[in-house]
Amino acid sequence: MQVVETFGHYIEKWSETAPERARGLLKTGWEAQNLKLRLTPERELSSADQYLACLMMDTMLKPLKDPEHSILVSIFTPCELMQEVGLFPYNVEGFSCYLSGSKAERAFLQTAEDSGISETLCSYHKTFIGAAERGLLPKPRCIVYTSLACDANLLTFKELAALYDVPSFAIDIPSERNDANVAYVADQLRDLGVFLEKITGKKIDDASLRGRLARSRRTLENYDQFQKWRVDKYIPEDLVSPMYCGMTNNILLGTKEEELYTRRLLKGLNKAESAKGKRIYWMHTIPFWSEAVKEAFLLKESAQIVGCELAQVIDLEHHAEDPYEDMAMRLVYHSLNGSIIRRIDAGIRHAKETKADGVVWFNHWGCKHTLGGSQLAKKRFEAAGLPTLILDGDGCDRSHGGEGQTATRLGAFLEMLG
Amino acid sequence: MSKTYYVCKYTPLELLAAFGGECENLNHMPEGFDYADQIAHPNICGFGKSVLEAVLAGDVKELVLVNCCDTIRSVYDLLEDMGQMDFLYMVDMLHCGNACSRERVAAQLKDLAKKYGEYKGRSFDYEAFRNAFAPQERMQLPHIAVLGARMGDELFAMTEKSMPLPVVNETCVHNRSVAWTYEESQNFAVPGNEAAAAQKNMAEAGNLAAGELPADFDALMDWYAGELLGQIPCMRMMDASGRKQLYQDPALAGIIYHTVKFCDFYSFEYADIKSHTDVPLLKIESDYTVQSSGQLLTRLEAFAESLSLNPEIAKIIRGARANGSASADGMDSEFSAADKDGQGKSLHIDGSEDGLSGRRAPHMGKGYYAGIDSGSTSTDVVILDKDKKIVAGIILPTGAGAAIGAERALECALQEAGLKREDIEEVVTTGYGRTAIQIGDRSITEITCHARGAHFLEPKVRTVVDIGGQDSKVIRLDEDGSVKNFVMNDKCAAGTGRFLEMMARTMEMSLDEIGRAGLSWDEDITISSMCTVFAESEVVSLIAQNKKPDDIVHGLNKAVASKTAALVKRVGGEEAYMMTGGVAQNQGLVKTLEDRLGTTLIISDKAQLCGALGAALYAAD
Repeated sequence: MQVVETFGHYIEKWSETAPERARGLLKTGWEAQNLKLRLTPERELSSADQYLACLMMDTMLKPLKDPEHSILVSIFTPCELMQEVGLFPYNVEGFSCYLSGSKAERAFLQTAEDSGISETLCSYHKTFIGAAERGLLPKPRCIVYTSLACDANLLTFKELAALYDVPSFAIDIPSERNDANVAYVADQLRDLGVFLEKITGKKIDDASLRGRLARSRRTLENYDQFQKWRVDKYIPEDLVSPMYCGMTNNILLGTKEEELYTRRLLKGLNKAESAKGKRIYWMHTIPFWSEAVKEAFLLKESAQIVGCELAQVIDLEHHAEDPYEDMAMRLVYHSLNGSIIRRIDAGIRHAKETKADGVVWFNHWGCKHTLGGSQLAKKRFEAAGLPTLILDGDGCDRSHGGEGQTATRLGAFLEMLG
Repeated sequence: MSKTYYVCKYTPLELLAAFGGECENLNHMPEGFDYADQIAHPNICGFGKSVLEAVLAGDVKELVLVNCCDTIRSVYDLLEDMGQMDFLYMVDMLHCGNACSRERVAAQLKDLAKKYGEYKGRSFDYEAFRNAFAPQERMQLPHIAVLGARMGDELFAMTEKSMPLPVVNETCVHNRSVAWTYEESQNFAVPGNEAAAAQKNMAEAGNLAAGELPADFDALMDWYAGELLGQIPCMRMMDASGRKQLYQDPALAGIIYHTVKFCDFYSFEYADIKSHTDVPLLKIESDYTVQSSGQLLTRLEAFAESLSLNPEIAKIIRGARANGSASADGMDSEFSAADKDGQGKSLHIDGSEDGLSGRRAPHMGKGYYAGIDSGSTSTDVVILDKDKKIVAGIILPTGAGAAIGAERALECALQEAGLKREDIEEVVTTGYGRTAIQIGDRSITEITCHARGAHFLEPKVRTVVDIGGQDSKVIRLDEDGSVKNFVMNDKCAAGTGRFLEMMARTMEMSLDEIGRAGLSWDEDITISSMCTVFAESEVVSLIAQNKKPDDIVHGLNKAVASKTAALVKRVGGEEAYMMTGGVAQNQGLVKTLEDRLGTTLIISDKAQLCGALGAALYAAD
């Protein structure tokens, strides 16, 4: 652990005066981690999740190695069009997670706050802004984001577009679910295609895009199937795999690698032992850095996280033949779009599908819609027969911890589940 | 008939009026959030919580919301779930203003018209719609604008009262700018011949009386959607560049930038404005309760003082007063600007030249002046003779009441100097308790006083770091000792003297002990929690791990130093630095802060008296 602390310390320190050098160190450190993941993977994890850890690390490293071919995106931006023109995702939330994992988030949060940005902005956004302001994170080719699922998107990406001085494209998602709104979003996605073609000079091939969308759908169906079939299985889980999956199932959707991951998940079911321990379905992000949460769930037979809502945000029942309409439909019918009730209902459905014993609704500091709806969520989950714990904390910023409280709340909840 | 409340400038008020709706902006700041914290969460925007409070108190039965932000979306979710309202609607306002989104917004408007019309049992009244448009005129006279996140009525009234110039509320909903202009409206009305135009349109519009929507109602709503979207944008819009006109207005003499705790939108604009404007700027944050006003009042008054001391603005203020445009309320606050030659080299707080002598009463003293700084922890008194030499300096605990504490401290100071009450020509009070003290002739905020005191003690000082018991502040001065800029911590105790006091208690150490302990540390411990409550539990667990007290104290000092350094950065700190306030006695913290800032801090032996000294200097002017 000491190694990570020292690493994080130097990233923070050097980024103040020599950001290029800090970036070099970050890249080297993450490459070393990548090598470690390949040579000495976490043997207790399923082979699919071992593969996922490498896939995620690769995804993080690409923008550091080749920023010219990276596109800065928010987590729920559909990325198939970018893949078609040869750009890979450079994801704000993911980077902040990894910086936090490298114990280097504090200085960047402070930098952003020093420039006047509020303390209450989501730490996934603020860490990235701070790191970008310091010059640690490289300039992307361009920026694409959606208004989904939170206010922070509307602020962070405008700020970053000005900071990096690169073209940006925003996708505006209306909240009501109807055909006119799908058409409105589909039109924007067609414009996005033109935007990307102009930037890269590449042409988006319709047939290839259709093929990619079909792959996205297969991937999502595989994952859905996996979640349904794992009900009577015990698949060891750590805290990061469900989170990684929440990222890759969005930004890597449409890639061969992500489809391969879901196929491996399904394959792994054959070898899995039968179910044991308490099964928890997790809403919002997981504070993977928290000792208290590790103590409760990290590779524990007694209790595990069997699903994270962020990996299951797309409603499979709505599907269109036209690729642009299909992507638009995913956004409009997205479980985090619009009323909190939709999100709660999707959570109930997914938690039940995987036979969860209880649900943790994680009130990530700064996520107002999650916080605002937390009491309503508890009421509805419990009415559906799912005991629910509202856990306040922060997925990224350690200073919003309160480890003692987290340990007590989680411990008591697990005891309560029997 | 009950009122229809709204919260956002994108609300189609004219449309609601067309169905007989009487609309009112919901802008009242509650005492607290007892109901809202129960059904929602404490850490969402206070305005959202105030809407919940108002509904739960039964004051609001009809509400038309806009999906402004995540908090308001939550408010809608909760109210919808409770189902106690007569009429509740949320307009799904899009984030960009192009033709496509205009079409989507028009669809929303038609849906609202249908539902609101059904609820009111009325049909669309074209005349009422047209008459509901009120042309907006921007303030041309010199004024101070409140920008940023919405400011509640109570806080705005307080702001108006504190400022020496008229104040215009341009926050959030208050800069609604839906205007009825000739070019855009000629399809629907002919200016100059309104009666005929209305008739013509009534005829064209079809059968209004029968309650059917007119044939061209769609076109009307399409136009109206464009008007709504075309306003000065709100920060939630994807293209918010049109907001520049709000802060590039040549008639602006000052900007009070207001943010609401847990609303993130406006911190981004503030971050941008603060480095791009020459207009004096004050940033304040409220949690949308009336309770937070105490601390904000100090900031507002300090800002008003600094405006009045700025020669150019003082000239504007005098001009405004001559024209009678300055608010009457602004005139009885404790400062009165006068800078006879307009050069601004001398700080002239004697307002007699324009007949604004404030509360100053004639005294027949013997050339002694007193300053009383009534802080949350201690009350300090300085007495100066006519040559501005300190003849007494007293520091006493404030105790239970500011007034009694001040009385007692003044008595002690008089005793020390061998003077009587009558010997004092003038008393200026400052600090938290300043307004509660009866004995002063005038009161001036501690910001202005600390700056003056620090300048007096060491003229080369440009940045004052003052960590007091209840708050910490960093003040930037110019070469004359006038305040150029200042920042204060938020309501939270992190980074203040109180934080260290609480931690000392947890560690069973005295403040003296804790001041020395941080000097000789071995292990570099980081206290990661910024919150006082969480930090305390971290300290308890460090004690349980048998960590050395010196190391823990150093960790705490680092936490306070990093908070303070952030304030220094925000204010644009420059050499030389002086530290004032009681915490300046804490050697360990001073050392850690010096390391953090990469500079040395001048600490005067009169550091704790700085505020009282400044007040006494103002008394002696």
